[in-house]
Formats: sequence, structure tokens, C-alpha cells
Amino acid sequence: MRLAVPAALLALVATAAIAHGPTPQKVHQSVTIAAKPEAVWKVVGDFAGIGTWHPDVAKAEGTDGNTSGGRRKVTLKAGGTLDESLDEWNAQGRTYSYRLSDADLKALPVSSYSATLTVSPDGEGSKVEWLGRFYRGDTGNEPPEELSDAAGKAAMVRYFGDGLKGLKAKVEGRVATGTMPDGRAKP
Amino acid sequence: MRRFGLACLCLALSSGRGIAGTVYVASQEAGAVARIEAGTTGTLAAIAVGGGPAQVAAGPDGRLYLTQPDGHAVTVVDPATNTVLRRLPFAGQAFGIAVSPDGAGLFVGDWANARVVRLSAETGAVEGSVAVGREPAGLVLDARGRLYVADRESRQVSVVDTATMTRTDTLPVGEAPFALALSPKQDRLYVANVRSGDLSVLETGSARVLATVRIGGMPYGVAASADGRLVLVTDQQAGRVVALDAAKLGLQATVSVGRYPEGIVVDGERAYVANWFSDSVSVIDLATLVETGRIPVGAGPRSLAVVPDPPARRPGGGRP
Repeated sequence: MRLAVPAALLALVATAAIAHGPTPQKVHQSVTIAAKPEAVWKVVGDFAGIGTWHPDVAKAEGTDGNTSGGRRKVTLKAGGTLDESLDEWNAQGRTYSYRLSDADLKALPVSSYSATLTVSPDGEGSKVEWLGRFYRGDTGNEPPEELSDAAGKAAMVRYFGDGLKGLKAKVEGRVATGTMPDGRAKP
Repeated sequence: MRRFGLACLCLALSSGRGIAGTVYVASQEAGAVARIEAGTTGTLAAIAVGGGPAQVAAGPDGRLYLTQPDGHAVTVVDPATNTVLRRLPFAGQAFGIAVSPDGAGLFVGDWANARVVRLSAETGAVEGSVAVGREPAGLVLDARGRLYVADRESRQVSVVDTATMTRTDTLPVGEAPFALALSPKQDRLYVANVRSGDLSVLETGSARVLATVRIGGMPYGVAASADGRLVLVTDQQAGRVVALDAAKLGLQATVSVGRYPEGIVVDGERAYVANWFSDSVSVIDLATLVETGRIPVGAGPRSLAVVPDPPARRPGGGRP
């Protein structure tokens, strides 16, 4: 049984990139920041600059810039890589939308997602909303617990939440650390 | 109350004004289906169906059929009495659904097993099955009994002859085709391609691609206006509906709606859009292409269906 698990996970990794599943899930996190929207956008608006504010990110590399079709490859401290591409980037509206290109269950236990990040005025400061639609890691009818809707939701909420905390700390001039574990649970 | 014969459905289809009736929305997260009243700002009675209904279709007698991919079932609802009539077991992931014109058969796409199954609407008995492409999403049935299936992960539309339950053709389209709509004359099939961000326009007679129209973002729903002049496409990423001139296939207008709009239907002079993330339905006036209302509904609305109104009583009319 212990030997069978990695093989099963490998098979899932192989199929995840093209599996979308019939049951999408929501993720929605927001934070208020004591800074003008322009100042927040300057930090968060650079799509490939996520490594400068997200505490769970080890590094991020961008290609093709802040425009539709622009890409970023995000390597997480806990392992795994998120290959993401921009659908729309709107500096005037201080918003961008992007999607995951290929699933990596080591990074996040989800098979696909799309997301939008928006900075808007909030009193004297700003509000940042980060929302998305994702599908569980195993889109079949009997997913193992670690690839279920609940596992996907927990991971996405944590990843977005950590990011917004890190963004707030960076813009407000403090230091934040992530909550992601250093490594995935061993089988 | 909402019972009537087949004749009226055919009449409505051929009248050029399209089907006018009552709009229902299925909310996957809430596990409910609700009636939308045009012109009002509130939802009417929601019917709890449980089990995460993904898609809804209406039968000629007004009954609603809801697929529950994670619940291994198709649930039958009588909206006239607000009751769940039956839960038909389904061995697979039921997703797309179409009802035969006589209401006796259901065509149900099996997302996980790349097939379409015909079920008895009455008993749920399996009456036939046909292999299609990977992850069949939207299904649409034409008046001649041809079933079109959006094979999401095969980048094609399968054409099934429902009389024999055989696949007669596969038509290449864009990346990740999801939603389908026929023009009122049924001479065109519109295909919303989620990943390539475009709309494939197919000629049903010749089974060829007439055009591919760039939409942008993620097109997740498509509908034609009753007069056939407009094609309406939801773009999930941008929270908008893109209205195209059907003749020129050029941009007519874009209409901002809620977040992550998905299913769209036309009922007379209005279009209704299921805003999946916002838990609402947008109402769009098709004469002005303006959003005239946003109605709160149960969480996670994805799919809508129109139940045609009963026909006006005519001498000699009635059931066939």
C-alpha cells in the first residue's frame, strides 16, 4: 500500500494538466492596506514581480511582460512550480486576470484555475481583492482526501491569504512570513 | 399548469420569435433550482435538489432535468408543483443534458467516461450509449434529431444521430469547447471555446467551420437571440457578455455583468446570465443591450433553462 501511493500520485500528475472536472470551486480573499491604490499597484501590478511580496514564493520569472499573453513561472518555497499566463492586464482599472497553464500538484493540489486580482480605493487606503475559480486535484468522482474539493480550497485560501498578508506587510513596510509547510506531507 | 403538447414547442421554434416562457437557474453550490421572474428583482421559490446540479434542461411538458456530476444522478423536478419527482441514478459523471422532443428520452453526457447515454426520462433505464470525445460538456439537440456534443478535451464537436445512437461526424473547433447554441433556423451552430478564447461558427448543413471569432478571456456560454440577429457570448475572465452581429460576426456591444458569468439563455426580448461567482442572474434587454437587473440567486449558478409558456387556446388545437 505504501508503495502504491507514489505511483497513483504520479498517474494523477500526468492527467491533471488536461483535467478540469465538472465542479468548480470559489476562492476569495481580500485585505485592506494603509496606502494609496497607486502605491499598492506599483508593487502588485507587475505580474512577474510576485516574488517580491508573496512570502510563499521562492522565485518568479516572467516573459512577455504585463500584457495579455504575458507569462510567469512561480517556484514555491514548499516545492512545485506554477506556470501562469495573463488574460488581461489593465493598469487604469488596477486589475489583472490570469490562468494556470499546467497543473503541478506539488505546488497546489488543484487541476486548474483562473484568477483576478484588483486594487481599489478604500477610504484613505486601498482594498485588494484576489478571487478565483479552481477545480480539485483529482476531478474524478472519488478523489483521495489530499486531492478533494476541501483540500484544494484549503490550499488556495492559504496561498491567496498568505500573499495578501505579505503584500500588506511589504507595502506598509513590515515583514510577513508564510504559513505554507516546507514540504508536502509524506505518503 | 405548465403542461402542454409537442405542437406548441415546434410552433415556438418556427415562429421566429423564439421560445417565450419562464426561466430557471440551477445553482451548483446551493444545490437548488429557482424560477426567475422577468421584471422583478427577487427570486421566487427555490427548489432544493441537493447534489450539486451542474446543468439543467427543460422537457416539452415543462419538467426540469438536472445533472449532478458528483452525485451520480439526474434529478427530475416539476416546477409547477415545486417538487422533486425522481432521482435517476447515473453510472458516471452526468454533465451536459438534452431532452428528446417527445420528452421520453434524456441524452446525458458522461464527463469522466467520454460518452453520451440515453436514459428513459420516466424510469432512468439506460436505452443506449455512444462514445464521444474526452470530457463531453455542452449538448444541444436539433429538430432533426442530431445531437451536437462539445468534447472539451478533444477540441471537437461530435455529431450523434440519436435515432441510431451512432456518431456520424466530428468537427474540429477551438481549444476546450464548452457551450453550444443553435441559431433559431438551426443552420448554424455556435461553439464557445474556453481555452482559446474564441467562438467557432459552424454551418450545420455542410458541417464545416464558417468562421472563428476572437472573444478574449474565457467564453463559457453562448446563446442566439430569438430573431437570430445576435450571438451572445459570456466571457468569464472579464465579467462581460460579448454581443456579436450574427450576419457580420462583428462586435455589436459588450455588456458588463457579474463575476464569472457562465450560462446564458434568451427568453423573448431578454437574455439571462448566470453569474457563477456573484451568485446572481443578470437580465439584459436585447433591444438596447443594457443590463436591466441583477437578481440574487443560490450560490454557484451555472446553467439556465427556459420552460416555454403554454400556447394560447386555439380551436382544434391541443395535444398531438
